[in-house]
Amino acid sequence: MNFLMSILEQGLIYGIMALGVYITYKILDFPDLGVDSTFPLGAAVTASLIAKGMNPYLTLLVSFAAGMAAGVCTGLIHVKFKVRDLLSGIIVMTGLYNINLFIAGTNNVPLFSEETIFKNHFTDSIFQEKIPRWWNIAVILVVVLICKILLDLYMKTQSGYLLRAVGDNDVIVTSLARDRGNIKILGLAISNGLVSLSGSVFAQQSRVFDISMGTGSLVIGLASVIIGISFFRKASFMKTTTAVIIGSIIYKACVALALKVAGDKATKLITALLFLVILIIGMDRKKKVKIHA
Amino acid sequence: MKKKIAFILSMTMMAVSLAGCGTGGAESGSGSPKSAGKSQYTIGISQFAEHGSLDNCRKGFIEGLKEEGIEEGKNLTVKVKNADADTSMATQIASNFVSDNVDLICGIATPSAQAAYNAAMDQNIPVIYTAVTDPVEAQLATDDQKPAGEVTGTSDKLPIEAQLAMIREVLPDAKTIGILYTTSEANSVSSIAEYEKLAGQYGFKIKKSGVTNTSEIQLAAADLLDAADCLTNLTDNTVVSALPTVLGMAEEKHIPVFGSEIEQVRKGCLAAEGIEYVELGKQTGKMAAQVLKGEKKASEMKYETVTDSSLYVNEKAAEDLEITIPDTMKERAVESFTDISQN
Repeated sequence: MNFLMSILEQGLIYGIMALGVYITYKILDFPDLGVDSTFPLGAAVTASLIAKGMNPYLTLLVSFAAGMAAGVCTGLIHVKFKVRDLLSGIIVMTGLYNINLFIAGTNNVPLFSEETIFKNHFTDSIFQEKIPRWWNIAVILVVVLICKILLDLYMKTQSGYLLRAVGDNDVIVTSLARDRGNIKILGLAISNGLVSLSGSVFAQQSRVFDISMGTGSLVIGLASVIIGISFFRKASFMKTTTAVIIGSIIYKACVALALKVAGDKATKLITALLFLVILIIGMDRKKKVKIHA
Repeated sequence: MKKKIAFILSMTMMAVSLAGCGTGGAESGSGSPKSAGKSQYTIGISQFAEHGSLDNCRKGFIEGLKEEGIEEGKNLTVKVKNADADTSMATQIASNFVSDNVDLICGIATPSAQAAYNAAMDQNIPVIYTAVTDPVEAQLATDDQKPAGEVTGTSDKLPIEAQLAMIREVLPDAKTIGILYTTSEANSVSSIAEYEKLAGQYGFKIKKSGVTNTSEIQLAAADLLDAADCLTNLTDNTVVSALPTVLGMAEEKHIPVFGSEIEQVRKGCLAAEGIEYVELGKQTGKMAAQVLKGEKKASEMKYETVTDSSLYVNEKAAEDLEITIPDTMKERAVESFTDISQN
């Protein structure tokens, strides 16, 4: 049970990041490497603010805002300076490393004795210091659901439709007399805000900020998004946002399973094989009809 | 056909995961000391990365347990997992150990120790750490060496004063010491701060260069070698893994490189006032044995350090650099290498 719970915990936290990566990668068609540094940005902001005594719930909002700022930077570099998408992300990712170090103060900030969204005065009065495992998952689930529902609602607005249009066919956006550059920047802002929020929750759950925690974030995010979308391709009842979150949980399940089952030397290999299996299961099996010219 | 394969594979996966959660759920923790009075122990060792010093810690740890009567194969099952320098992997490993309900978790190096402590915090599983340079900074212990919870262990704090004194003895005219370190390693940052504090007393200035990963080491080393009279190493995982590169570059410029422990001297560093990691591991193993047998609780044991440093010298390196090691030092040396090992 404990095993499933920890998969759920990690999967949901990274699910928030998957939502962010979904926006840039799938909707905007913009592979954003900046998330490798935006994830620790949220953690750095959270760690330094909690150490200074800020309300942990408030740090979630501040982290989101910090992420948005980073996203705006990536967007401006891409739109105004006409730098390619990958490179804008790389520039922000590289620059943010030192900024994250500066915000956190040092490269490793433990939060063992501080209040977090999971354990604070409020929860102590209910649970008397012994926080049950399901409480952690419940808190994370609430954050995930709020993000998902807000995102779904946003997608239905005019701004949301324009966001999707920019990714699919940005000529339409210009023909509607809207600035597609601004919309891209907005999309990057929301996306990085979500990734940063995810970093904040992760830091509070693992009770430590470490500067190297962001490495490989984009890979995790992309894997979650693609697994989620492929696996639930046929399930028309399920919104893509839900599929992406479940994709993240499946990803973490594969990693945990590989760790458990594999010897010490084969963990990543088994993880890769598990991904392959999942993607094969979700493969589109309808044969493509050849169009003869 | 594909559908059948897919179905069988997904069923197997689900079966394995259910089996996985089954063994975890079967024995849920209770409030009393977990392992006291038991005759069979299961421990989890979470090692942060694969390199000589950490491997030595692990070997010493198992030796230390053996010396106290807890032996693998007799009354002990050991699960070893390596995080490959990945912090999220370290978190997952710790979670897995907790859901396996082990009697004790050993965390080797700060990130693995922190992840183990976090996972085991409310689960009544004691955590013993080793190779954590600053347990107070890592919040695993409070200022007066008392544990923050059911967590204790040993610290590999570098004998920096001894090292500075030794360097002065070998190089009476040197002025600047260069130090390569990785900005993401907490141990390195705190060691550098101490070096900078004490260097002046021995007439040295410190020039440091921080890298973010292995790929930047050559450039940073080249920069340091232009300005420093000698280099010295910390217990920095990234730099130590790339040691042969740095040694090669330093040798071309005839600049000596001092190490921080025996493995580095074996590979070609001139000398080191270092801690013996196997001994450190043994000390940790003995602490763990006391906790497993129920003689003491982890929260009652102050963390320990190895107070004596041992001098190691490499005479072949001295020969190549045309530096004479004073005879008094040679006599003091615990071990003297006459060769530079290639592996």
